[in-house]
Amino acid sequence: MSNTHILSAFDRDLEGIQAMVMRMGGLVEAAILDAAEALETRDEELAQRVRAGDKAIDELETQIHAECARVIAIRAPAASDLRTVLTVMKIAANLERCGDYAKNLAKRSMVLAQMTALPGATGSVRRMAKQVTLLLKDALDAYIARDAAMAADVRQRDQDVDQMYNALFRELLTHMMEDPRNITAAMHLHFIAKNIERVGDHATAVAEQVIYLVTGAIPGDARPKVDSTTAGPAA
Amino acid sequence: MTDTTAAPAFRGASLTEPDARTRRRNAAERRFRLLGVGAVAIGLVALVILLGSILNNGLSAFRQTYITFPITLDAAVLDKQGNRNPEEMKKVTTIGYGKLMQQALLDALDEQGIDKGDLTDKEIMALLSKEAPADLRDAVLADPSVVGQTIPVNAFATSRLDGYLKGRVTMESATRDANISPEQLQLADRMEAAGLIEKRLNWGFLTRPDASELRPEAAGLGVAILGSAYMMIVVLVLSLPIGVAASIYLEELAPKNRWTDLIEINIANLAAVPSIVFGILALALFINTWGLPQSAPLVGGLVLTLMTLPTIIIATRASLKAVPPSIRDAALGVGASKMQAIFHHVLPLAMPGILTGTILGLARALGESAPLLLIGMVAFVRDFPGAPPQGLLDPASALPVQVYTWTQRADPAFVERASGAIIVLLVFLLTMNALAIILRRRFERRW
Amino acid sequence: MNDMRLTERVVTDTAKMTARGVQVHYGTNHALKDVDVDILDKTVTAFIGPSGCGKSTFLRCLNRMNDTVASARVTGKIEMDGQDIYDPRVDPVQLRAKVGMVFQKPNPFPKSIYDNVAYGPKIHGLARGKAELDEIVETSLKKAALWNEVKDRLSAPGTGLSGGQQQRLCIARAVATSPEVLLMDEPCSALDPIATAQVEELIDELRSQFSVVIVTHSMQQAARVSQRTAFFHLGYLVEYGETGKIFTNPDDPRTESYITGRIG
Repeated sequence: MSNTHILSAFDRDLEGIQAMVMRMGGLVEAAILDAAEALETRDEELAQRVRAGDKAIDELETQIHAECARVIAIRAPAASDLRTVLTVMKIAANLERCGDYAKNLAKRSMVLAQMTALPGATGSVRRMAKQVTLLLKDALDAYIARDAAMAADVRQRDQDVDQMYNALFRELLTHMMEDPRNITAAMHLHFIAKNIERVGDHATAVAEQVIYLVTGAIPGDARPKVDSTTAGPAA
Repeated sequence: MTDTTAAPAFRGASLTEPDARTRRRNAAERRFRLLGVGAVAIGLVALVILLGSILNNGLSAFRQTYITFPITLDAAVLDKQGNRNPEEMKKVTTIGYGKLMQQALLDALDEQGIDKGDLTDKEIMALLSKEAPADLRDAVLADPSVVGQTIPVNAFATSRLDGYLKGRVTMESATRDANISPEQLQLADRMEAAGLIEKRLNWGFLTRPDASELRPEAAGLGVAILGSAYMMIVVLVLSLPIGVAASIYLEELAPKNRWTDLIEINIANLAAVPSIVFGILALALFINTWGLPQSAPLVGGLVLTLMTLPTIIIATRASLKAVPPSIRDAALGVGASKMQAIFHHVLPLAMPGILTGTILGLARALGESAPLLLIGMVAFVRDFPGAPPQGLLDPASALPVQVYTWTQRADPAFVERASGAIIVLLVFLLTMNALAIILRRRFERRW
Repeated sequence: MNDMRLTERVVTDTAKMTARGVQVHYGTNHALKDVDVDILDKTVTAFIGPSGCGKSTFLRCLNRMNDTVASARVTGKIEMDGQDIYDPRVDPVQLRAKVGMVFQKPNPFPKSIYDNVAYGPKIHGLARGKAELDEIVETSLKKAALWNEVKDRLSAPGTGLSGGQQQRLCIARAVATSPEVLLMDEPCSALDPIATAQVEELIDELRSQFSVVIVTHSMQQAARVSQRTAFFHLGYLVEYGETGKIFTNPDDPRTESYITGRIG
């Protein structure tokens, strides 16, 4: 099977949309990393930039959506083309959510900058953010390469993020129990950690879209979950 | 146009001014158009000359010079027994009637006070056609009750006198003519002035049989028309069913293999075979081998059938082919058998084409003379053929053959007759072609 | 793939016609190679594929229209309700009354609308009188969604109708012999989009009464009207399956290339 359409404009359309998704992915990754750095370095200016940058991500998503609608209307994509368009829309939505989380992270980092720092916690958040952006990057790379195995690997690696979140959750719990004055900061940090963990879930969703794109089937088996926090506070 | 879009060098700068190449091309186009107009004009001129000469020569054949005078049919001469029995009356020959007519004509001249000049009675009688006493005899035998009465008689004038009134014969030519003298013509002038001689429409040209060399004024096309009609009936009855059946088989049912290809090629070749060859075939087969009578319309019809069949088959196959295959598919698709599809759907749609082809084939057969010459239809036939089917075996003539025969005769009056016959033939042909066009128009259906 | 199917998409799985190892030769040209297909009862089956892929050839095998092509030779087995339709004892005329056909170009007979529809029942002796024939004509035209448009002019020529009406007339004509399978060879290729939509709607309605097999060059049409789709390529049946599956996730790369418009 050849990879080019008889109608070359169709190829250009699809490539254009996917390039936009990649640009969006790049923006989201940078936003998450920048927000985590702003949190650790208490760099309010950087945090402000991240918050402002989310607008570009939202605009990209709107644009991708419009392009997908146009391709569906005039090209009537079928089979892999149809799956490409469908996955692009879903991935764009996932990335847009991730962008929102980065923005929220930046917002909370500005609040946290006014408070006493909890030792070690922000570092954990930054490591976690790094891990998550790596996941996101790998998921998008898998998308570009149409690599289902890599996507499956991304799904597996989301467990690591979950474990990091669990560890951080306990750490923050400890801080709060030690000194109730830490509660506000710990709560903010917890939300941040939860959001980063959500980004990991979105990366997993992207990976699932990659698998659907390649195989035509969404992986049905339950993804390994190591989130013990929902089972209540650790005993 | 801006400077950035460079126009190809060969194109002129202006649209309103044609460049040399365009001018040359336009000139060539104009020349070709003129050539075409010229060709059509030559054809039209030829047609006009042909039709003009035929009409000019032939139209006069439909009018004939008659001498009208009263005649007393003396019973003592014509019916000696006095019982008005036609069988008995037949004993009186045309000579007897001739004497009566001569007397009646002379009496009429005296009565009108016309100066007979120095002409003898016989010379005066020579103004009448030799056919006139025979016509009178036929009339009396047909209706014996007129015997004993005085009736007006319209007798043909001799062809020379007819020619004089039509301008063919002049006083000058009469001096060199053994058959007529200027004195006779002068008498005729006086008789015309007295109203005894006049030209009238001559239905006899269409209804009378052929006449001998010496009586061109009495010659008619009756036998030829009837013979041609009989032949056309034979051709139609034989060639239409055979031709259509053969076409349907070849076009719709026959397997496509070497044999059918061979047949197809042969049919196409047969259509191009010179007609005289068919005549030889007919002479050898129908007359010599089968022993059919010569000069019979049946034999003529058979020859013409052979000649017409390829034309009809080709026309029929073409019109069957022109029926869109979707109609056959549609019929077969609802479960019609092959025969049902052909007879319910294909044939009705092909019918206008088939009829047109048939009529055109018939028209061609009607105008054919060569094969008929070989089977003896060129013979001099005075008696009308009987009614079909027996009549088909009686000797008859045919229109084109009649034209041929008349042109062979010495008397210049027959030139006029032959042209007249050509007009009749053309009228029949045009009528048939018109019929073909009307049929096609009327039954042509869109699909 | 997905467990939740819309009820409308549910199809019966009893086979009306089964083809096994069907091969067709036109002279020396091997037009169809070893085709196995089950045409399901009360289902619309679409045949798609590039020109010359054998889809029309196979369609014409199903009612033995290939018999009319002298050079065509069909081998293999095609059964209808368990009866071999290529059995020498089978009269193709009877078969074609059971397996109706609608062609690419609307081809009404150049007769009245009434006669067009009545022709099939007449030659098969399906009506015992004028009244019965009238009824067949009316129900057939109703089934073809044409009755309201032509009921006042049944004696008008069928060729005077618009293209879409003509095609529906042809469908009515095919329906009039009460077929069990209706074959359609690119029935909408000569129609405008509105007429196409009407015919497609009609096909969907006819599905409740018999199997419909449709050959189409429009993949969108195949996707719209059919429940099962077969993809033919170079005389082979490449893929045959549920239409939704074929159009979202075909198994064979050749199918994928064709339906996505790639250079295959």
